[in-house]
Amino acid sequence: MKCESCNKKHATVHLTEIVGTVKKERHLCEDCAQGINQQLAKIPSPTEILTSLINQVAPEISEMSKIVCPVCGLSYLEFRSHGRLGCPMDYTIFRKGLVPLLEKMHGSTQHVGKVPSRAGKELIKKNELMQLRNELNKAVEKEDYEKAAELRDRIYELSGDTDED
Amino acid sequence: MNFQVTPMKISDLADNTGEWLRGTGAESDIVISSRIRLARNVARFPFLSRANVKQKRELEEVVRNKIKEAEITSDLRYINLADIDSVDRLFLVERHLISREHAGGEGERGVAFGKSETVSLMVNEEDHLRIQVIRSGFELKEAWKTIDEVDNKLEKRLNYAYSSRFGYLTACPTNVGTGMRASVMMHLPALGMTHHIEKVFNAVMKLGLVVRGLYGEGTQVSGDLYQISNQFTLGKSEVEIIEIIEGVIPRITSYERMARKALVSENREQLEDRIWRSYGMLKVARIISSEEIMHLLSQVRMGVNLGIINDIEMKTLNELFILTLPGHLQKLEGRELTSQQRNIIRAAYVRKRLEMI
Repeated sequence: MKCESCNKKHATVHLTEIVGTVKKERHLCEDCAQGINQQLAKIPSPTEILTSLINQVAPEISEMSKIVCPVCGLSYLEFRSHGRLGCPMDYTIFRKGLVPLLEKMHGSTQHVGKVPSRAGKELIKKNELMQLRNELNKAVEKEDYEKAAELRDRIYELSGDTDED
Repeated sequence: MNFQVTPMKISDLADNTGEWLRGTGAESDIVISSRIRLARNVARFPFLSRANVKQKRELEEVVRNKIKEAEITSDLRYINLADIDSVDRLFLVERHLISREHAGGEGERGVAFGKSETVSLMVNEEDHLRIQVIRSGFELKEAWKTIDEVDNKLEKRLNYAYSSRFGYLTACPTNVGTGMRASVMMHLPALGMTHHIEKVFNAVMKLGLVVRGLYGEGTQVSGDLYQISNQFTLGKSEVEIIEIIEGVIPRITSYERMARKALVSENREQLEDRIWRSYGMLKVARIISSEEIMHLLSQVRMGVNLGIINDIEMKTLNELFILTLPGHLQKLEGRELTSQQRNIIRAAYVRKRLEMI
């Protein structure tokens, strides 16, 4: 049997194509069959189709897709498919992807409600430390070393029991 | 202090209901109850979907002990949901003490609540801790005051997952920020009958609020009972969110009152006939499905509000909405029942409650 594509070589590859309910048989030589294979390879795989779709709908996903939380092991893709985060740290790790999502859900990305008293104390302490450091810089600039030493001691005292993260 | 841990007899609860069904409080002819819940998580623990068995057990123990130490109410009791069967869990769902997700969950989890059933604390629900307060009538501000105090007591003992940017960190980003869902349960039969309900809800949704059925997310509306709650939890303070809901509820209640007035003036006889027929059905029927009873109770409730029916208390009617649910009937009977058996027992129970055996 001759190859039905080039009509020259002997057909060694026999393909059965089913389109809908119609069955079609093709008989090709090796060279022509390879050509068809290459054409097939050009059709994007389901993963590629999905990726391009995701890129259209939520462009941050492809950029974020490789990020995995080192604390709980959740990947950004897993989060997007289930909608649930794995640990509090995810809000920091996935921040870039989360911010536009939160904007869409809540119309805002900044908490303005209740502050736990524990966090409140930390905040107050942080603000106080910032102020002391500013004063220290000014004192050093003015070469007021006595004041600077005093401020330095207060900073040490305050920051001693703060976990600065 | 008295902190009962299981076993407690759930059947002891079956013949009465929580205080939020008393039918008292502001606007209680239309607003059945006001409910607020806060979602909280413990820092340095994964959220529950990523927690292993050991971490879940540890969390359950830590949160349960802190609830106990916090002395929230003097009569708080704790039920471990893994220790009770599915009928008992359904029973707790029907009373709004736990959520459907909590009932159907896995592993170590539990709920603490007091005798009045006003405050309930769910441990290891979607978040490590969900605090809930329900009050009778339109009393969101009061509910907020109570829940804020409970939360303050707990935050002294538990290191909550919190960031100054995103607020209280929750397993689902739809709850982050305040972690608060405030909802008001309303009875709106006349708006339903006059087909104005859709219009009202479209207006409500424009304010960023959502309308749901009796048991929250994904549940069907029955008995003309609707829950209106906030969708967003981030970017507004707790009080601001409550004020948005508080602003819209009086408008809906006045629409409902207008619709009732219109029904009365258009065809009083027909309306009275519908209401009396429903009342009659409750008093004489031998088989009533759960769907039918919601409809009948809804009609009779409106009849009482309009002064058409005078010999039944609002509290009794409110309670019947809950006490005739499948989990409650099975608890009352002390055995599992098929749907057909429940329909017979439901009818008998209602006749007894309405004293027409």
